[in-house]
Amino acid sequence: MIDKQLLISGVLFGLSLGSIFFLMAVGLSLVFGLMRVISLDQLLYYSIGGYITYSVSSITGSLWLGALGGMIAGGIAGLAAERLVYLRIYERDISFTMITSFGILIGGVGVIKYFWGLVPLPVAVPIEAQISVLGTEIPVYRLIIVGASALVYAGIWAFLNRTIIGKAMRAAIDNVEHVEGLGINVYRLFTIAFIIAGGLSGLAGGLYAPLIMVDPQMGLDVLAFVFMIVIIGGLGSIKGTLVSSFLVGQVISLGTLIYAPLAQMAPFAMMLLILLVKPTGLYGSPLLKR
Amino acid sequence: MNVLRWWWGLVLAFALLALVRVFLPLPFANEIVLFSVYAIGCNFLLGRVGYISFGQPAYLAVGAYGTAFYLFYFGNNPYIGILCGVAAGIIVSLAVGPLFVRLRRDYFALVNLALAVIVYYLMQKVLADITHGDNGLWFLTSIDATPVLDLTRPEHFFIFSLLVAFAIWAFYKYIDDSIFGACCLATKINEDKLIFLGYSDFAIRLAAFAVANTTTALAGAMYAVYLGFVSPEITSAARTPEPVVVTILGGVGTLYGPIIGSLAFIGMKDLISKIFGNWEIIIGFGLVLVMLAGEKGIWGTLQPVLQRAASRVLRAGSNGKRSAG
Repeated sequence: MIDKQLLISGVLFGLSLGSIFFLMAVGLSLVFGLMRVISLDQLLYYSIGGYITYSVSSITGSLWLGALGGMIAGGIAGLAAERLVYLRIYERDISFTMITSFGILIGGVGVIKYFWGLVPLPVAVPIEAQISVLGTEIPVYRLIIVGASALVYAGIWAFLNRTIIGKAMRAAIDNVEHVEGLGINVYRLFTIAFIIAGGLSGLAGGLYAPLIMVDPQMGLDVLAFVFMIVIIGGLGSIKGTLVSSFLVGQVISLGTLIYAPLAQMAPFAMMLLILLVKPTGLYGSPLLKR
Repeated sequence: MNVLRWWWGLVLAFALLALVRVFLPLPFANEIVLFSVYAIGCNFLLGRVGYISFGQPAYLAVGAYGTAFYLFYFGNNPYIGILCGVAAGIIVSLAVGPLFVRLRRDYFALVNLALAVIVYYLMQKVLADITHGDNGLWFLTSIDATPVLDLTRPEHFFIFSLLVAFAIWAFYKYIDDSIFGACCLATKINEDKLIFLGYSDFAIRLAAFAVANTTTALAGAMYAVYLGFVSPEITSAARTPEPVVVTILGGVGTLYGPIIGSLAFIGMKDLISKIFGNWEIIIGFGLVLVMLAGEKGIWGTLQPVLQRAASRVLRAGSNGKRSAG
């Protein structure tokens, strides 16, 4: 049987991994639900967030400022992409927008390579301290990541349920035409959703940067996992994204403890099984066809 | 005469492609032919069935590893190796096809991407004992020289791949003209009507999926023989968009799109990486521009222009004859 201490640290590792995945996938899911766009360029904002965090934190010495900067940069990049590209192609087929977003992703990776170079860059961990939970030493920074993503979930929930813009957004996820018929400017909603999604992806990159090295391919590395999370949860569902990102985080982390070579693959096998049973994912609604 | 009408476009295209061999270095020409075979599967799925697949490298890897296992462990004949790769492609695409073609378009794209990642980890980590992990399988020296077309020599390999590509193009042109091709197109345009007419959309999609991915596996098998080694790198996530980019660049659903697309893509990649060292910017934003301009691609834009020019020339020719007569 697995050692208890290993198990606890494994669960925590899975939680923090799941938190990062959640921050990234929630933007993808929101953008899909609202606009039916599979926005692969979220992975670019993730990389941008990581790199801005690297630059800001190496100048000011504070990771928190860096992550904030990464979040803002991600939001601005999302806004720019929405205004310049997506605004012209919302009406098009879903595969069309997906390819366009892949173009943005690849081009953006090229820009990152141009500015920061090809070499992976290290970001210092701001808090080295460890605290003891149930007799196991646990790095505080990972707990902070989990806390941050819990805050984000609460914030998104409050935004969607308590503010009028959020309510309009939820209504638009169900039926855009009706919302437009009520006289609400849906394009304003689309822009807001894009800024939120870009900002959260940037934040994810900033928070995760100290635990990995930032390198130009970092977005492509997590691409498959983020997709898988969105598929398992069901495209367009925030709750499904939360559940599936923590599920996948735990499967990867605990899978590593049991049999390392299979751990990276296990989530994909899980995804195939889930799709076999329920082709729209755990919380995806069959009505999403449009 | 009718037979000739059907063939002349193909013959002309491949005669032009053979000219590439004369003007450009051999590795470049080989790369273009192989890549266009690789891209036509994706082109068929996207243009005829309406399924976008970001997971084509998975099937490429299946074909490549099928060939590699044969050549590394069992035999030395490259032709049998390629057949093994194609067989592996058929088996895998028939195994995963029934699961995948039930899905909606957006899920299909993502699931294929996931398959590419699964194959990557399978080859890199799980089966590391027989695939040698990241080091890959090297079998260039164990390929036997064969009579007539010796695949170990690049210039003979080019002739072989050109012949194979020609056969594949003839096959896809035949499919385009057949009832099956019309059914494929119908699944893209109006599925309900197709079902109403009594066809099974599931069976048609499965057949199209198997055909497209077997072609991709064939490209993988040819890559394996050409390079003489296979590593998991060919299915890494960073390479998944390449066939889609080439398809779009050339023109979705057009017969000669993949050839033009690979010519443009590989040419640009070579040129830009020589001058600029940073080809992603150009490819990525170029793709966005192509999409914003209206997704017709290079061949899709050129084709009507060429056709008009050709018909004008023909008409002028017939007028000339009439006035002379």
